[in-house]
Amino acid sequence: MARRFTKPKPEVSYLAPDDFENEAALILSEYGNAHGQVNEPPIPIDDIVEEYFKLVVEYKDLRAKYPEGDVLAAIFFNDKRIEVDASLVPEDFPAMRGRYRFTLAHELSHWRLHRHLYLRQANQPALLPAGGAKPDHVLRSRLTDRKEFQANHLAGCILMPREMVKRLWHAAHGSMDPIYLDDLRRKQQAILTAEVLRRGGIKSGDDAIDNMLLEYVARPMAETFEVSPDAMRIRLEGMNLLLRKKEPTLFA
Amino acid sequence: MSKKAQKRFGQLLREKRMEKGFSLRKFARLVGVSPTYLSQVEQMNVDPPTADRVKRMAELLGESVDAWTSLAGRITEDLPGIIHQEPTEVPDLLRAVRGLTADQLRELRQSAEDMKKKGK
Repeated sequence: MARRFTKPKPEVSYLAPDDFENEAALILSEYGNAHGQVNEPPIPIDDIVEEYFKLVVEYKDLRAKYPEGDVLAAIFFNDKRIEVDASLVPEDFPAMRGRYRFTLAHELSHWRLHRHLYLRQANQPALLPAGGAKPDHVLRSRLTDRKEFQANHLAGCILMPREMVKRLWHAAHGSMDPIYLDDLRRKQQAILTAEVLRRGGIKSGDDAIDNMLLEYVARPMAETFEVSPDAMRIRLEGMNLLLRKKEPTLFA
Repeated sequence: MSKKAQKRFGQLLREKRMEKGFSLRKFARLVGVSPTYLSQVEQMNVDPPTADRVKRMAELLGESVDAWTSLAGRITEDLPGIIHQEPTEVPDLLRAVRGLTADQLRELRQSAEDMKKKGK
């Protein structure tokens, strides 16, 4: 039997945590060289996406366009176009500001990390008729494949650059010591009452209470970086500034 | 409003806005409209904005207000006033110049300027 040769599909490369930090720093530095360095939060994500990367942003009713899924954004690599669900636009829905900014950063991250997987070669005829409405990639509210993980991770690094986070943490807490969940439990009732009043409810899930405690600490920085407390909490946990468990030491 | 006018205006607006380096939200803020509405205009889902907003857009982008107003299918806000000042003569004049070439219109305009100078 003749051997069949098939062209291997391009794959999503593995990226180490430092790769994301370096890529984010590079993006900010490239933007800074063209439009002025960004030294303070919030990161001007609209300007980075539209002015520097020249990606077209469109607001649409994506829930109506893609009724089969909870789609928040979609990217069309060959058109250099991002569609964002209109329910995230901050001028109309101020509470969605953090979500909107993270969504844009997420799609920019796809552009940066994954466009080689989708861009058609100039001399390669399209497999589908031109102008088809099928996006190359969509962001649903819950997606967990490797590309989504990478886009989320890079988005966090772009919106909350490591050195800026460190500087603000030190300014807010007077040291680079982490805050432990155990320490927050001592005033758990007061924190939870404040958070429930602020949010108007409580999320469900195994870690809901722990997350609320940690997000209580993350909230002031989340406001400065204009991200959601959820995104700030994840970033601070990733940088070991918020910790769920105290590691035993030699002497304790 | 014809679909064609909508399309040309929306396309040109996006092209020039991006060329000048304005993000959608920043430009909407400067014009005084909602970003969602501006995006709908660019996507050609709604009619072009009112004359005063088109004027503001053209000014921000360094484009001709008259050309953009015409492209948007609107008339500039000073024109109704001019017509009302001379309600018979001005419409008559407009009907008379209808069909002239752009060069002929420029020539006429120059004559009008000269007449105004002599009159002063």
